[in-house]
Order: sequence, then structure tokens, then C-alpha cells
Amino acid sequence: MAAVYGGLKGKLGVEDAPELQLNRIRITLSSKNVKNLEKVCADLVKGAKEKQLRVKGPVRIPTKVLHITTRKSPCGEGTNTWDRFEFRIHKRVIDLISSPDVVKQITSITIEPGVEVEVTIADV
Amino acid sequence: MGGRGGRGGGRKPRSFATFRLFPRSGAADPNDRVFVRVDNNDYTVPGFADEDSFDASLCDPSADGGDLHSASGPLPEHVRREILELGLPDDGYNYLSHLRELRPSAAAAASSFVPSATARPEPLPLDVKAYDASKVRVAPSEGELDEGRAMCKVAAKTAPVRRIEKAVDPDVARLLDESDVSHGGSEDDVLEEDFVIIANRAEGDELVEEDDGEEEEEGNGVFSDADEEFDFEEDDPKPRVRRLLDEQFDLLALEEYGDSDNDVEVVKSGEYELPSEVIDELKLFHNQNVCVDEEYRTPADFVRRKLDSSTADEVDESAHVIKKCAEYAERYLNDTVEEEVVLVSESSDESEVWDCETIVSTFSNLDNHPGKIETPGNIKKRLPKVFPGETATTNDIIKLHGKEKLPVEYLPQRKRGGEKEKKGKPAEALNADKFKKGAEKETKEEKKARKAAVKEEKREARKAKKELKGLYKSETQKAQKVAAVTGPSSIRLM
Repeated sequence: MAAVYGGLKGKLGVEDAPELQLNRIRITLSSKNVKNLEKVCADLVKGAKEKQLRVKGPVRIPTKVLHITTRKSPCGEGTNTWDRFEFRIHKRVIDLISSPDVVKQITSITIEPGVEVEVTIADV
Repeated sequence: MGGRGGRGGGRKPRSFATFRLFPRSGAADPNDRVFVRVDNNDYTVPGFADEDSFDASLCDPSADGGDLHSASGPLPEHVRREILELGLPDDGYNYLSHLRELRPSAAAAASSFVPSATARPEPLPLDVKAYDASKVRVAPSEGELDEGRAMCKVAAKTAPVRRIEKAVDPDVARLLDESDVSHGGSEDDVLEEDFVIIANRAEGDELVEEDDGEEEEEGNGVFSDADEEFDFEEDDPKPRVRRLLDEQFDLLALEEYGDSDNDVEVVKSGEYELPSEVIDELKLFHNQNVCVDEEYRTPADFVRRKLDSSTADEVDESAHVIKKCAEYAERYLNDTVEEEVVLVSESSDESEVWDCETIVSTFSNLDNHPGKIETPGNIKKRLPKVFPGETATTNDIIKLHGKEKLPVEYLPQRKRGGEKEKKGKPAEALNADKFKKGAEKETKEEKKARKAAVKEEKREARKAKKELKGLYKSETQKAQKVAAVTGPSSIRLM
């Protein structure tokens, strides 16, 4: 694979002055809100595909549900009724192979409130 | 494996960099985010991480930074200019880093200034008069403008601003108007200080303003009503003409509620005199002679039997009837005063004791036999038949039953099961007589012993209950949790 890319680099030569340094990029998106999260995921994947990058589609990590069970009553009086609150965290992982600038571009465009983005860049 | 083991700590070389999107510090817009590195690996990604003041604290001061590294020499010119513009001192410190963008967003709406829709205009000082010229249309400049005409036009369209001057109380309004005209009453207030005058005037304005702004219409209504009431009271308490009914009422009132002496006098002195109008009315019929036959006749009868009697007779008869009525009334009035009917209520004897059931069911007391209410239950039933202190117990073994190993027979029994009864019966038979006799000839010590025994049992029972509760507390908690969430809220297990 590296060879192929090396070859590509050689062909492009002077035209591509900025280095096409490819890295493996892993984008981890997490959020409480599924809708926003899915939207961001879709946008990212679409953006990456437009730029002809290799994308490994959004991997859905199982949602983490944090349960909080509390007494409804502020005092101890009354029937012991309990509230069951839950807090869901959804996580999606997208893998790309591209240069970091492109990723930066894409990520800056698709911004949705409440979605946390973490980008890990490694060598190819 | 060997190769890997040779490396420091047995860890893989961490050749990656992790960046995270953080909202820019001090930014109003939460979507304004930058990538910030969150790990400490050696791997560098040129051109990815954004240099930010946020980052400056984390990385070394010696690292290449952006414009905002204050440690590296004087601040750039534009930064310095901005600091100076804000009025902050130019001492080499970048005060801009402490600034926060103010952009009105949904979250920050509370901190932004929104002028109120119901803002009241400033009260005018008294020597200023305001006119509302919004309706004046400035005509395009014609060749010759007659000043007088222009003035008229303007004056016609402008309306004086009434809102401020309007007062609820006419007195206050009058006062205000006077002060307006006389320019503050400067002659009188020469001796007083300036601020006193202003304060007094301000008070008056405030009062007016308050009533004005808040409850203008309401205030009007209230005050107008009050005024009306006052006016009403001042006038003649009986504004309307005395009517026939008023006189009648007065007479009636006098008669019924006056002193008894007066009453008697009135009655004995003469006939009750009807008011003149009434008599006049009746006189019309008085003259006509109406004969009352033996049998009762309605006017309808007369109509049917026209041949028999004339219409005059009809009228006569009805008039006669009315006359008779009047006579009867007078007679009744006169007679009844003399004859006093005294109603004496018979005092109820003890023999006539009625209960609710008798009254309601309308049967007599002979049929219904209401039972006497007795004290409910026997206290003796609560106590076990066999006492711990009894010497004459047949069985020396105290039997423990149940999971908790309690001496069931010695506990207060609500319901005696068949088993217990069987056991208790022979003892019962023996002790019954003894018990009864004991109740009669009970001495102080025996009574004390009995009471002590009872107390002891109760204490034991309580202890046992508590233990039982504690034993299964965790179970009940779990059950309660489940029940509270799934079952109806009335279930209470703990």
C-alpha cells in the first residue's frame, strides 16, 4: 500500500506542491444526542467521499447508559417512589486515510452543538 | 516479542497524536471550536493543531507560539492599540486574553439589555410643554410660504401630549396646573431651599405618575365611584318621593315593632285607618252593591249566565266581596289582639326517649328496641390464658414456633387458631374459674404482677417484631424498589 501511495506521489510530482502526507486518521464522535451525531457522521462521510478519501464507515460503538435511580421525595416521607434517570452516550468511529489538512477542513465545516469530536492521527 | 520486550516499559511506540475539538476560550459562539492536543506523545503532526492561548499554558513557554505569547517580547502593535483603546494600561501584559466576546445568543439573553416595551417617558419638567407632532406632514417646499399659514397648519396637526399631565384626582391636577402657570410659586418659596421645592414637586409628580401608569382606567373607576358615593351621602337621604308603600311600611313597622303600649292604644283608639289613596281606590267599588249568593260564584259563571245577572251585578258582587274582605280583615285584626293563643310546648318526659331509628323508620319505641351501647370487647381476650408466672401450668415446656422461634402461646393473641385452642382448653378450664375469682379478690400484689406480666409480653413482642423487620430489611428494600416502580404507589412495604 505504501508503495502505491509512494508511486502516486511520484506521478503527481510538482503539481502537488503541498505534501500529500497520508496518515491514518481516526475520528471519534460522541454525543448524548443521536440525531445530531448521525447527522455529523453522515456529513463527514459524505465530505470524505467527495474528496475521494478512503473511508471506513461509521462504526457504532454500543451506547453507554448511565442509570441514576433516586428517591422522588426530597424528604423521607411518603411511599418510596423512585425516579429512574438515564444518560445515554452514543459513540461513532470513522476511519480515514488522508492528509491532516483535509480532515481539519472537513471537521471544521460539520459542526453541530453537543457533539464531541476527537481526532487521532497516526502513521499509515 | 523479544524486540518489543526490549523497549522501555514493554509499551508499543506510541506514534499517534490525538486532538480534540474544544470551544474557543472566551468565545460567545459555542460552535467556534479549535483542535487541541490531548496527549503527550512525541509524534508531531505539522499543521494540524491550532495554536491557541488555551494551549499556551500547557506547552512550554519556549515553544513557538502565535501572537499571543506575552513571555516573548513586547506585544504586537495591533494588540497594544486595542488594549489602549479599551482603557487598560499598556504595561506589556496582554489584557485581551481576559476578555470575553459578547454576542447575544439564546443562553446569554439574560445578560443582554432589552429595553422594555412598556417604558414610560421621562416626566417633563414643569416649564416645558410637549406636543405630539407625529401627525404633521412637512409639505414640500412651496415657493412662498406664508408663515402664518404654516404655523396654523402645524398647530392644527400637533396635539399636546396629554399623557403626562393627566391626573386622577382633580385636586392634584388643579394644583399641578396652578404650579405650571405660576412657575413654581417662586414668590412663596423664596425662603425655602431649592431641593425642598424640587422634592415637593417631585412627590406630586410621582403620585400622579404612579396612578397614571399602572392603573389608569382602574384608578379612574375607583375614584369616580368613591366620588359618587360621597355625593350621594351628602344629598337628601330620601331622594325619591314618598310613596303609598312607604307610608304603609312605616305604619306596619310602628305597629309591629313599636312598644306594646303604643300598640294597644292604636288598636283601642280606633279602627286601623287605611291610607287615603287606598280608600279612594276602594270607594269605586264601595258604592256598587254586590250581593253575595249562597253558592260561590266565579266571574266565569256570571259570564256564562249572562241572562241571569247583568254586568253591573257582576261588578257589584266583586266590589261587595272586596268590602267583605276588608271587614273581615278589620275584624280579624281587632279580635285577634284580644284573644291570645298561648302555645305551650310540652316538656318531654323521660319515658319518651326517641332514637333516630324510631323517628326515621316511624315505628314506635315499642317495636324498635334500640340496644344499649356497650363497651366493645373484653380486655381479657387480649391476654393469654397462660401466664409465664403461673405456677399451676400443666406444661413446663415452652414451645417455640415459627422461623423466629417465638413462644407463640405467650404472645397476645388476636385470633386463636384451632391448634392453640386445643392446647389452651384444658389449661383454660382449670384456670377459668381461678382467673375469675382472682379478678374479684385481686390484691395489690397480684394486680401488680399481672400488669408486669403484660408489660413484659408487650416488650418481648416489640423486640421480636423489630428483629423480624431487621432480618428481612434488605429484602423489603428490594421489593419496595420493584413495587414502587412497577406497582401502584399505594404499596408500602417498608
